[in-house]
Formats: sequence, structure tokens, C-alpha cells
Amino acid sequence: MELNRIEVKAAVRRAIEGSADEIIRLARYIYEHPEPGFTEERTAKVVAEALTKAGVKPETGIAITGMKGLRTFNGQGPTVAVIGELDAVKAPGHPGADMTTGAAHACGHHSQLGALIGAAIGLGVPEAASTLSGRAAFIATPAEEFIDVEMRWGLRQAGRLGLLSGKQEMIRLGAFDDIDMAMMIHTSSSKSQRRFIVGGTSNAHVVHYVRFLGKAAHAGGAPHQGVNALQAAMLALSAINTQRETFEAENQTRVHGIITRGGVATNAVPAEVVYEGRVRGRTMAAVDKIAARVEDCYRAGALAMGASLEIVSIPGYLPLDNNKDFAKVFTENVVTEFGEDALTTQADTVNAGGSTDMGDLSQIMPALHPYVAAAEGTGHGIDYVIADYRRAVVDSAIAMALTVVDLLSDNAAEARGIIDSNKPSMTRSKYVQSQTDRLRKIEYRGG
Amino acid sequence: MATIRSATYLKDVVSMHISSHGQPAIDLATTVLGHPETGYKEIRTSAATAAAIRSLGLHVREDIAVTGMTATLQGGSPGPNIAILAELDALPVPGHPNADPETTAAHACAHHCQLGNMLATAIGLQAPGVLESLSGSVTLMVVPAEEYVEIEWRNEQRMAGRIEFLGGKPEFVRLGELDDVDICMMTHVTTEHPHEGFGVGGTNTGLVAKFIKYVGVKSHAGGAPHLGVNALNAAHMAIAGIHAQRETYRDEDMVRIHPIITRGGSVVNAVPDDVRMETFVRGASINAIRSANEKVDRALRAGALAVGATVEITTLPGYLPLAPDVNLTALHRANAEMLVGSDRVHEFGRRGGSTDMGDLTQLMPGIHPYVGGAVGRSNHAEDMIVDDYNLAVLDAGKAMAMTVVDLLSNGASEGMRVISEHNPAMTKDEYLILQRAFLSERSYTE
Repeated sequence: MELNRIEVKAAVRRAIEGSADEIIRLARYIYEHPEPGFTEERTAKVVAEALTKAGVKPETGIAITGMKGLRTFNGQGPTVAVIGELDAVKAPGHPGADMTTGAAHACGHHSQLGALIGAAIGLGVPEAASTLSGRAAFIATPAEEFIDVEMRWGLRQAGRLGLLSGKQEMIRLGAFDDIDMAMMIHTSSSKSQRRFIVGGTSNAHVVHYVRFLGKAAHAGGAPHQGVNALQAAMLALSAINTQRETFEAENQTRVHGIITRGGVATNAVPAEVVYEGRVRGRTMAAVDKIAARVEDCYRAGALAMGASLEIVSIPGYLPLDNNKDFAKVFTENVVTEFGEDALTTQADTVNAGGSTDMGDLSQIMPALHPYVAAAEGTGHGIDYVIADYRRAVVDSAIAMALTVVDLLSDNAAEARGIIDSNKPSMTRSKYVQSQTDRLRKIEYRGG
Repeated sequence: MATIRSATYLKDVVSMHISSHGQPAIDLATTVLGHPETGYKEIRTSAATAAAIRSLGLHVREDIAVTGMTATLQGGSPGPNIAILAELDALPVPGHPNADPETTAAHACAHHCQLGNMLATAIGLQAPGVLESLSGSVTLMVVPAEEYVEIEWRNEQRMAGRIEFLGGKPEFVRLGELDDVDICMMTHVTTEHPHEGFGVGGTNTGLVAKFIKYVGVKSHAGGAPHLGVNALNAAHMAIAGIHAQRETYRDEDMVRIHPIITRGGSVVNAVPDDVRMETFVRGASINAIRSANEKVDRALRAGALAVGATVEITTLPGYLPLAPDVNLTALHRANAEMLVGSDRVHEFGRRGGSTDMGDLTQLMPGIHPYVGGAVGRSNHAEDMIVDDYNLAVLDAGKAMAMTVVDLLSNGASEGMRVISEHNPAMTKDEYLILQRAFLSERSYTE
């Protein structure tokens, strides 16, 4: 019996709606057990179990906590990935924060995982298996939030990581080699938006792990014997601030960071101060230019104080390039399933200023990273919570699964068309090479 | 043959003569107060001072180190040569009631009273019967440019070959004017306690002076700030860097670093590309100055590095720490106590200011006592006013003249003792080598 696409979609949607309680429960469970990037052990375990239960037993332990499960349909065709991110950000004070680590799902990744499972369940219906061509991949990626840089740098030194974010590392390890296109839906707390927001881009960035090295001495008894690394860091940050007037508005430059170690005892001159920072901008070229200035600012802090400096410049994310044809398939499904008023389309140039490693994927394959307006509060703030789980989890799962149906129906004609017409900015091997080459360690003696 | 008179008698004569004949000394001071001039530009001040000295019947050698001069009072027999110094210059203090409206120069450090009290000393020593009882001579030494200001302009004078050192006394040393001087003395006015008396002893810091130029790139500050390189931000970061190192200075080193910005941009809507600073680096010892100067240079370079500018740092020899001679201090102190009472003569401690009398005290026995007679927040403040010319000019002149009598009477036996018991820190040649080694002109584009 030849099913028409409307019937397939209805079956997929029914299956997802039937699992609504289960996938929302999963999302809520993960919300209550937030884990920062590359430590998502419990999260990975429950996601792997849920995927297995949905009939897609994943390969686990990719890039430490990442996983990939594949569902193969009847016909031959390309592989479309649905992605969910495993990690929490850190937001001490958030109602869902882990008391020990401060990790909290203040970026809504937990609901992505609910949607991921929902999509796997939906695309597991026999109606899909019999009519679609190619494969659907269900991928849970670790560590999208580029935090805990020192810990990740340690993992790299120990040989456990090459690139320091989840998707970057999974690309490096070849986990995306058999993936032809990828999508995920991120939550948004934007009040003025409709249910789904499609379009826009994101900033490129570079990550800095900086150690200012001075000399310890009794801060009261012998400050003249010390070299104050905290003062060096303070001067470096002030120097960076003097550069802000040179940042072009169009570039949406963001320079920001945290001090993760600022001295060990108030009565000792701080001998080691550690700073983790970001330089963001719309293009890699712009980021590199600003980052060079910022590196000089670190040096200036060290030079002024006669301190030493180690800068590890870590390749960050590439700008997001949403594939237009891919977006069109997605938006048609949103309109059909949820109505005209469920959709907001943004221009390609709209950039909120943040960054995502979906940007990296979008440079090597057709990719889509829409938002679902289901949260309230400020992203990464202590008040960011999912206000509408049905929308965040169930509707997202439906929108993604039905998009996969369209892509892989009719001998995967849509998917093939998108893949063929997409012009990635670089090959996967070139991507891995260029990101790896961007990693630099700079040492500087300020006197 | 002259009668040999006792020091006590001679001091009475000198003191009474200044009381009765000292008015020209006060007049010189108040005249100079009315036309303040900054260092190496003290044209009118110099002319008025030369005229006043000449009116005592003395020959004046002028045009030494641009505006300086000397005159000699010869004793009855040979002996040590004592320099009594006075400084010609004022400093810019906008808002001072006696400030020059055009240049803002004002005698807010009361150098005008030094000219007066030096003249009073000369008047006293010219009292009948005094000079012939003394063995040795007294050189009135009027020096320009003690205030180390207008560094950029003076540096231009240096580069044009008109001067080598930016301070008047180092220049006098270089020119050999101190070669035949054995002892040097000068009285400075202060607003510090005691208002009614003298402050003796005490030390001053030495310094190097710096002239700093940041070169950035000009650009429209609103339209194209990304095309500019902000030299003012470089200076801002440099000053922050200087501050960040303050905790590394030991209390006893008395390090003082206090920059000013003499050019901070041309128009508010252009990114400043030419910003200039001047600063001193002061310290209680030459090593303290050297070490602090290295730290300041680091901070200055860091400012340029931070914004991507170029910095040109000119470091100029400044002044050496003041080390007053203990014997001379005791002699002068006794005379001051005789004049105003011992409760009005105070021992000063370590002081943060600097003077090129410090240089002279590294070469020979010298003192740089202070006299009251002024009010205001501090010297160099716009409210610093001399309100007791009798004390600041006449009594200060008396104490110096009496000390000269102590040193040069009785065959100059005290003078000889002071000289023989003093161990100079360095010779003139060593001094010139040391000072010249401080000079550096470097440009950094990191």
C-alpha cells in the first residue's frame, strides 16, 4: 500500500503526541540533574536509554559523553541528523541549579533532548519506515556551552579531547562524516516572537585561556618582593575596555570573560591569576583582528607589572549559516501544523550576539538552527526557565520529525536537492585542519 | 691690621645691621613677587636681583646658565668659600593671587624670599668690621630653574644646546660654578609648621624627570573610531599601570610618581593621536629612583602596547636626594634658636619633595633649612602666601649670616672642621657621569 505523505505525517505526529508525557518527563528529569559539558554522564545515560527504547540504540561515548543513533528507512538516501545538546550552563542561584557545580539548564538544552527523543519516537512509526529513503540520525552532543576552559584544556592535555566543544570534537572524530544535513531547535525566551523563529545567524568566536604569572610575597610585609598577577589581569581588562570604542557596530563584537583564579590568600601577593575569555564577532576575520588586539592587552597588563603570561587561544565557533532551502521545508511544516501565526522569519543578518557550534556544522553541511519561543527569563540568567514544555518539547519534536519526512520522502528528493545545491564554506577535513591550526599557545615575559 | 673679633660679637653686629639696613632685601622679594617668571625665563627677576646686588657695591657675573649670576664678598684673609644660594624661578600655579595672568607663573614656593634673604645675608656681612674679620669668602649664587617644570620646553632648550641639565644647580655644577665652593647653604620658605620659626635638618627625595609622547592615529571619533589609535587611552592605561605598582614601593624609599598630561588631544571629535605626559619619579635613594623608573617605563610601554600606539619616552636627569650636613645643621640651628627661641626651631624628617640643593649636598657639605612666614595648604598651592617678610627674609638672612660668621671667624676653624668631617658622596665628575647616565630617549612600538 502506497501511503501519501499526509498520512505518514499524521502517523508521525500522533506517535509524538502520544509520547508527550514521557518526553516532557524526560526533559524535566534532565532539568533537575544539570551537568556541565563533557561531564554529562547521567544525562547521557538517560538519553541513551530513551533512544534505545525508541528503537534507535545509539553508539555512546563519542567525544566523552556524546552519542549517535541511526534509523535506516527502506529506501536508499542521505542521512538527516536531529540534534539535542546534553550540557547545562552554569548559573548558581538558578532554581534548577546543582548545589555543588552551579550547573543549571538556564539555556533550555534539556528540552532539546526531550524533542530529540520525541523525533526518534515519531520517525519510528512503520509508516515512516516504509515510505522514507535514507536515514535519520539522532545525535546528542556534549558541551555546547564553551565553559570550564581550564578543565577542557586539561582534558586536551591528557589526550581525551582534540577540539574543546561537543560538535567540534564529534566532527573531528568523524561522527558527522556519514551525516548529510543536520538540524536542532533551541529554546528562546523572546516575548514578542511567535512559536517558531527561523533564520538569523550567530557570532563567530575565539576562546582565551590566560594565566597571568607573578611572584608571591607577603602582601603586608614584603609587597616589594612580589609581582602582582591580579593587578596585571586588572590592567589587561582595563586595556580591553579602552579598545571598545574601536569595535565596529556592524561586527557585533563581544569581548568578555571571567577570572577563575584571582589569588589564593589575601595576605599574599597573587602569583597566579587565571582568566577565561571570549572574543566574538560576525566573521572569523573580524574576530581574529580583535583577538590580536586583546592579546596585546593581556601582554600590556603583564608588561606593566613585570609579570609573565600564557595565552592559550582556543578555536571557538564559526558563524551560523542556516540553509535557506532547509529552512523552507521546516517553515512549511510549521505553518501547516501550527498555523501561519506560529512562525516568525528573521533576516539572515539577525544576530543576537551569541555563538553556537551548530555554526561549525553549518559551514560544512546544510544545517538549520531555529528557535522555539517556549522559555521565559534571560538566557543564561537565573530566571531562565521553560514556561511551555509542550511547545518546547512536543511541538519541536513534531516540527523536526515532519521536516525529516519531507526531506526523505519521494526517494529523498528534497534532501538530495538541498545537499546538492549547498555550497559548504569548507570540506570537513579542511574544517578539522583549520580549527586545529587555530589553537595557539603564546608565552610572554613582561620583564 | 684688622682686629680679630669674637664670633658672638660679630653675629650681634651682623644681626643688628640686617634689622636696621635690611629693607632693600624685603623690597627685592616683594618686587619679584610682582613679576613671577618660570625657570630659564627669569629675565626681569634676574635684572632686579642683579641691580639689588650691585647696589651693595658688589660686582655681579651675569648670564650664567641663562639667567643665573654670582657675586663675591671677600673676607679679610683666605679661607673656605661659602655659597649662599637663592633661586630665581616661580612655577605655574593658576589661581594664585600673585600669578602672572598670562603665564600663570606664581611665587607659590616663595623663591622671591630666598632672593631677599640671600641679599639680607650679604647686607649683614657688609656691616662695618665684619668681612675683614672673616677668613674666606662668600659667593652669592643666584640660580635659575629649581622648579622642574615645563619639561617639554626645557627639553627643547636642551636639544638646542642652550642648556644640558633642566635644573639650574646641576647646570651651575656642569659650568664649573661650584668648583671653588666648599660649603653651600640656602634657606627655603615653607608653609609647614612652625609658622613663626625654622625647620632644620630633614631629607628630600631625588628624582628623574620624564617626558612622554604617545603617538596614535587620528580618526573621526564618532564616524570612524575603529580607524583610530587612541593615544589618550594609551596614556590612561600607562597611568593605571603606574598606580597598579604602588604597593611594590617600600615606605622608606619615599617613591613618588605623579604624572600630568600636558597634551590630551586636539578636538573632542577626533581620536587623540598626540598625547604628552610629564612625570617625576622620586625616591629617597638613587637605587630607589632607578628601580621605580624601570617600573614606570614598563607601565608606559604597556600603555602603548595595550592600544597599539607608539610611545616615545625621554628620561631626563633630575635631582639627587638631599643630605644635609650634620655639623652645618647644628651651627645653623643654634643661630636660628638664638633668633626665634628653641621652641620655634623644629627638626624636620623625611620629606617627599625634591630640590637641586640635593645635588650640591652630594658634592659638598650643605644645608637647606626652612623658614616659616608663609600660610596656605602647602607650597605650590594657590593659597600659599608669605605673610611674614621679617621672618622669611630678615631672620632667615640673619641665621645664614650668623652661620657664615661661625664658619669663617677665628681663622675659619669651624669651616675647616665642617669640610674635613664631611665625606662627599661623589666627585663632580662622578656626579656628571651619574646624571648623564639617566638620560635616555627611546621609542617603543611593541
